[in-house]
Amino acid sequence: MIEQKTRKLNDDTRVAISMAAPALTGLFLFVVLPFALALVLSFTNLRLGSPLPIQFWGFEQYRRIWLDPSFRQALLNNALFALVVVPIQTTLALGLALLLNRPLKGMAVFRTLFFMPVVFPMALVSVIWTIIYAPGADGMMNAFLKFMTLGFWQPRDFLHDPALALPALMLLSIWQGVGFQMVIVLAGLQSIPISLYEAARVDGSDRWNQFRYITLPQLRNTLIFVVLVTTILSFRLFDSVRIMTNGGPGDATTTVMNEAIKAAFDQQKMAKGSAITVTFFLIVLVITLLQRLLVQEERTIE
Amino acid sequence: MNDLNSTQWMSKQSNQQWFRKIASYLLLTFIAFLFIAPILFMIVGSLKPDELVLSQASTLKAFIPQQTSLQNYRDVFERVKFERFFFNSLFINSTIVLLGLIVNSLAGYAFARLRWRGRSLLLLIVIALMILPFEAIAVPLFFQFTFLGLRNTYTAQIVPFIANAFSIYLFYTFFADLPKELEEAARVDGASPFQTFVEIIVPVSKPVFATVAILTFLSEWRSFLWALMITIDEKVRPLPLAIATFQTLPPIQWGDIMSFGVMMVAPILVVFLLFQKWFVKGVASTGTKG
Amino acid sequence: MIQILRRLSILTPLLLCLSGCRSNATQEGTIQVWVHTGQAAERQTIEQQVDRFNASQTEAKVALTFIPEGSYNAQLQSASVSKDLPDVVELDGPSVYNYIWQGNLIAIDPLLSPQIQQDLLPSILNQGTYKGRLYSVGTFDSGLGLYARRSRLEAAGVRIPKGNQDAWTAQEFNQVLVALAKQDPDRQVLDLKLNSRGEWYSYAFLPLIYSAGGRVDQPSVDRFLNSSSAVFAMQQIQGWIQKGYVDPNVDDASFASGRVALAWGGHWDYQTYAKAAGNDLVLLPLPNFGNGSKTAQGSWSWGITTNSKQPKVAARFLEFLLQPDEVLAIATANSAVPGTKRATAQSKLYAKGGPLSLFSSQLLAGQTVSRPQTPAYPVITSTFEQAFADIRNGLDVKTTLDKAATAIAIDLQDNQGYPDVHSVSYLPIFGLTSSKSENHDRAENTKTQR
Repeated sequence: MIEQKTRKLNDDTRVAISMAAPALTGLFLFVVLPFALALVLSFTNLRLGSPLPIQFWGFEQYRRIWLDPSFRQALLNNALFALVVVPIQTTLALGLALLLNRPLKGMAVFRTLFFMPVVFPMALVSVIWTIIYAPGADGMMNAFLKFMTLGFWQPRDFLHDPALALPALMLLSIWQGVGFQMVIVLAGLQSIPISLYEAARVDGSDRWNQFRYITLPQLRNTLIFVVLVTTILSFRLFDSVRIMTNGGPGDATTTVMNEAIKAAFDQQKMAKGSAITVTFFLIVLVITLLQRLLVQEERTIE
Repeated sequence: MNDLNSTQWMSKQSNQQWFRKIASYLLLTFIAFLFIAPILFMIVGSLKPDELVLSQASTLKAFIPQQTSLQNYRDVFERVKFERFFFNSLFINSTIVLLGLIVNSLAGYAFARLRWRGRSLLLLIVIALMILPFEAIAVPLFFQFTFLGLRNTYTAQIVPFIANAFSIYLFYTFFADLPKELEEAARVDGASPFQTFVEIIVPVSKPVFATVAILTFLSEWRSFLWALMITIDEKVRPLPLAIATFQTLPPIQWGDIMSFGVMMVAPILVVFLLFQKWFVKGVASTGTKG
Repeated sequence: MIQILRRLSILTPLLLCLSGCRSNATQEGTIQVWVHTGQAAERQTIEQQVDRFNASQTEAKVALTFIPEGSYNAQLQSASVSKDLPDVVELDGPSVYNYIWQGNLIAIDPLLSPQIQQDLLPSILNQGTYKGRLYSVGTFDSGLGLYARRSRLEAAGVRIPKGNQDAWTAQEFNQVLVALAKQDPDRQVLDLKLNSRGEWYSYAFLPLIYSAGGRVDQPSVDRFLNSSSAVFAMQQIQGWIQKGYVDPNVDDASFASGRVALAWGGHWDYQTYAKAAGNDLVLLPLPNFGNGSKTAQGSWSWGITTNSKQPKVAARFLEFLLQPDEVLAIATANSAVPGTKRATAQSKLYAKGGPLSLFSSQLLAGQTVSRPQTPAYPVITSTFEQAFADIRNGLDVKTTLDKAATAIAIDLQDNQGYPDVHSVSYLPIFGLTSSKSENHDRAENTKTQR
């Protein structure tokens, strides 16, 4: 019996490895290896196309990017982006989910409409919004703001205005992304046992209290997830930047990813791009660990 | 509610409810308009003469078709090889989805249902890899493929994206929750793990396959960064990059650009409307991880 | 299981085959040509020229690939690493020296007929020459000057220069701005195209530094970005901006719409401006900052890559493009200065007495300055663009230019001063060697064969 079991285990090992091999090989070749490569390259001075021999530079690339005003501005922009977009988008997602999570007819239709921007490629959305942000009184956003402010809004050139370019990208991101978070929150809402609300109603607690003491605590993990995913997405910001502003005006909308692509692809500074890439990964890692920490904390409280 | 015999109190109550309902619908409709206004603007704009797209953008006429024609659509086909971009995107994405389903489900199964040495360590690594966004490896991957001389190929746009840690994880969690008894009979009959997987597990796992397929397709259909770096010309250029370059291709005609956009998003929009339940489920499932 | 793996393995060759479908750089009988995606008229003209070339001979067919301008250099650089460079590439002005240094271009002086080379404008020859060899030829050059509305100048009572020799001095130019501003309700009278991005700043404003007696092509006290002449020139520009004379040009129409009386502009602005101002349009030289009025030169040009297996056939294509009719065709499409003397003489815009003859006369008289002819140019231009932005935003000129000069010096140091490198294995740590050496040998061979 024991003998049979060990034999079976061995059999599984062979079969299991052959089943997992294609995927694991792929992950190794196209995720692990490139990342290791980035780490190695970031300690060199590699420039694509340069006929000079490659040199080991230690931490010089890291020192340089930290002193580089554009990179600092990029980090600041990403942080600002997260600071503004995350609370607004999460609140909106929660609000919309609450609006939709009611036994009214036609909610599925509204859910579809709110979710629709999510299936649009960011590249397309960026192009369309470039037109929406057209400067002058003819621009749609300018006209809309004029209407909303009863004529007080003076037409601006959103994408070339240092003060407005980043907010313009933020608004676009919220529009495109909120449906995604809304669906996740909605799923979270629907997984809250109805019995909790029934008990609360018997106790005579009103809607606000139900929201405050049942909905929010029950949604805690979902919301933490949404907040951190949105934060990470804020740091991954690239497509709309590249298409709509190319990081400008000045460095007003540049982002960490934009700086990485600028260095590696536009300027062939592979080593600098790699150093930015590694830094970017460390940022994402910290955010993710933060999520793990927060979720764990809640579990221990339970 | 229409009962004439109902008491005063009841009708007041229902009136109040009725008002609240109306208010909710009005609010929802307003929000919905904000959400679809840009989309509507694009669709309507694609049917208008180029010069009207911008000049009418500041009025509600932006959303009302005028001098409707398909000229912009004809122009797109005349100016660029739209059908080529479309084929490229479709081919690249379908191949990634198809091969991805096979490769990642096999791995997910091996992790979930088979006992083997190294399993827990490798599983831990796969889960750890989930936090590594593509952006973190785009630069070195670009270097890798440039150095291999594989720029401007389908290969470069497909192969790196077949194996996917998140897909493996989704398969893994789904398979791990299936009841043990499912395979036991088959295993006793001497079926190999692979046969068991194909004949017993796959038929009961359609939801997870659908979820993974949709999530993969959705994320790949949008990919712009990689195409920007790795493709050179229109032979292998996918749609997201194609529209970004079309936008800067003089003469800049917004009607044409919008027609391009409509044609680019139409198929995925149809698929979304047909299978939106799965889209929503797929997205919701990302929230339940971790 | 193993069966299935085998079945899966069938996919592998399929995937590998996909890589075979890629565009292979060079093929016998086909000349691959990369062009930047320019204006529609320019694009159509190039396509027609290629059709004409293909019809004119049976030796080879030219295949064009249009590459968006935004990522043009990036694509070329990556292609040189992955050995995907086509036979012929179009290069933007001064970026050519970096490609030469990297060993991507072959010298074409032995490949082009002497008559063709003699016919080229001096500025085109100058632009394509590096260390005594000719590497690229342009079919057109550019012109830069001050466009003005004659009526406004007359109303302000200022002297209108007749040509290069009596250009406004720095002091006079400031007085012109003051006089014009008095007539203008918003006092904004000058367009410097501050809405531009990229190459414009080096192209349009480095000539002022030369006019002030400086240079920018060597890291030394008097020939670098932070020389006293450079500081003087940039302080002038900062002064115009800070005194409110410069229109931000957000809508790209400040001159055409009549908001300003003066516009810093290139030959490519002529059609739009002529349409907007009609007979009132007058073209003036840039101000003279002490050392004569200087202006810019240089534009897109053609080179043959070390990747080309048929450089002689590729050279036939370049010769074809340099025939007077073909030069005029492209120069008409983009209203640029025709790149050869014969074509210029036939051009309505640029022949003696033509509305843009100032540009051609400047080029022929050698009053134009080329942007720094060094492999470090990509860094110089991006650094200068950044410095210009800082100066525009009011930062101290001397400090800004010192910083820019340091940045360029660091790049020179990083690249060991861009020494001539013939054959090195440039990735020794990965045990890989480049085939650059082969390419160079091939280039040498072509030379010696002549």
